[in-house]
Amino acid sequence: MIFNTFSYYFLFLAPAAVLFRVVSPRLRPWVIVLFGSLFFIFFAYGMAGLWGAACLLIFLWESLVSRLYRPTSRWCLVGIVQSVVLLGIFKYWNFFTGLFFLHAANPFRWQGAFLPLGISFFTFEFYHYAWDRRAGRTEAGTLGEYLAFILFFPTMVAGPIKRYQDFLPKLRQEPTEWSGDWERGITRILTGLTKKFAVADLLTAWTDHLNARDIVVADKRVLVMWLLAYGIKIYADFSGYSDIAIGSARLFGIKVPENFDWPYGRRNIQRFWQCWHISLTRWLIDYVYIPLGGSRVSTPRIYANIIAVMLISGLWHGAGLNFIVWGLWHGLLLAGHRLWRQLRGEPNTHPVAVFCSRALTFVLVNAGWAFFCMNLPTAMLFYRRLVFG
Amino acid sequence: MMISNFQATLEYLGGERDDAPRLLAGRFEWAARCVVWLLAILLIYAFCGQSSKFIYIDF
Repeated sequence: MIFNTFSYYFLFLAPAAVLFRVVSPRLRPWVIVLFGSLFFIFFAYGMAGLWGAACLLIFLWESLVSRLYRPTSRWCLVGIVQSVVLLGIFKYWNFFTGLFFLHAANPFRWQGAFLPLGISFFTFEFYHYAWDRRAGRTEAGTLGEYLAFILFFPTMVAGPIKRYQDFLPKLRQEPTEWSGDWERGITRILTGLTKKFAVADLLTAWTDHLNARDIVVADKRVLVMWLLAYGIKIYADFSGYSDIAIGSARLFGIKVPENFDWPYGRRNIQRFWQCWHISLTRWLIDYVYIPLGGSRVSTPRIYANIIAVMLISGLWHGAGLNFIVWGLWHGLLLAGHRLWRQLRGEPNTHPVAVFCSRALTFVLVNAGWAFFCMNLPTAMLFYRRLVFG
Repeated sequence: MMISNFQATLEYLGGERDDAPRLLAGRFEWAARCVVWLLAILLIYAFCGQSSKFIYIDF
């Protein structure tokens, strides 16, 4: 829940944002650290009990290790590996060990497995800091500033994924414009809540039917409507969430990166990904695609890199075969688009061609959501019903 | 041009942009902000009972 609870606004956001503005500059990061820690314990305990709340130690451990990071230092590699290993254990242990025992009980199954609150997002921020410190692209900052960066609770759970070098100057600057920041911030929060309650939650009545039992008996045209409803729902839900996160940060006088820029209706799949979950796309480009060689390698390698990045993106979204297929689908679309551009050159600017390409992109993106919102057998059943009746 | 102006207006009303587009600049600006707040609060009040978890929370 979190952003749609009164506790978030009245126990954490409002007191922290007011205190942040009235204390001395030296204490500001520690206000974020204090409220960020309480926020994590409160909501993580609610979701995963004592062990969930104890995961606050991950932040404290990471912040201590981060003090050892220096440009070209091996400690940065240790930081990168530990963040990925932690994510691997919590999120993928049962999935990957289960792959070895497809037809038998998994003896290595972690029965009490749980997902620490926001682990997929804060892992990326740990990783980014270690990587950029190693490359000498960011300064160390003080312990308080680094803790404030990773415990900044408006973006801790589901982004937008921040960069330390962008966040630090905003943390250090004097927040002057109370009225402007609060008016814009509250407007943004209200917009996000409206998207969530009046659009995303309303569509749940349709998207709840995306299960094997209902798919078997549904009319083909209804199946299309349900999937379309999911496409709108996930956009309203996540962009609403991002609106609330960005608006909340604004109450502190801190502007965090935007996550969406009218993604539906973009001309091609590449433009779609530049406008959908922007902070994730940029992270994947900077920390996966470019280190793999990006576009400076041979043509087959470029295509392999694109597909590899989208497979990682799919797996990051969830530990399941359906997410891998969803990533593969987008990887193939991006590779297909690149090939098309190579063969055909610059895109046609005729209005009919532009309209058709926008419509095609919309349809292809929405077709992929089936693998995002249903497990693989159900998604396959969905398409079997859609194509063969 | 018309679409981008419309987008800019929506972005301003939604809190994403800081500068009011030409269409809303001047005396309409405050009125538009009030209407948006009122509308948002009404919609939130009307639909909040059915709240469910944000999709990306479990990630």
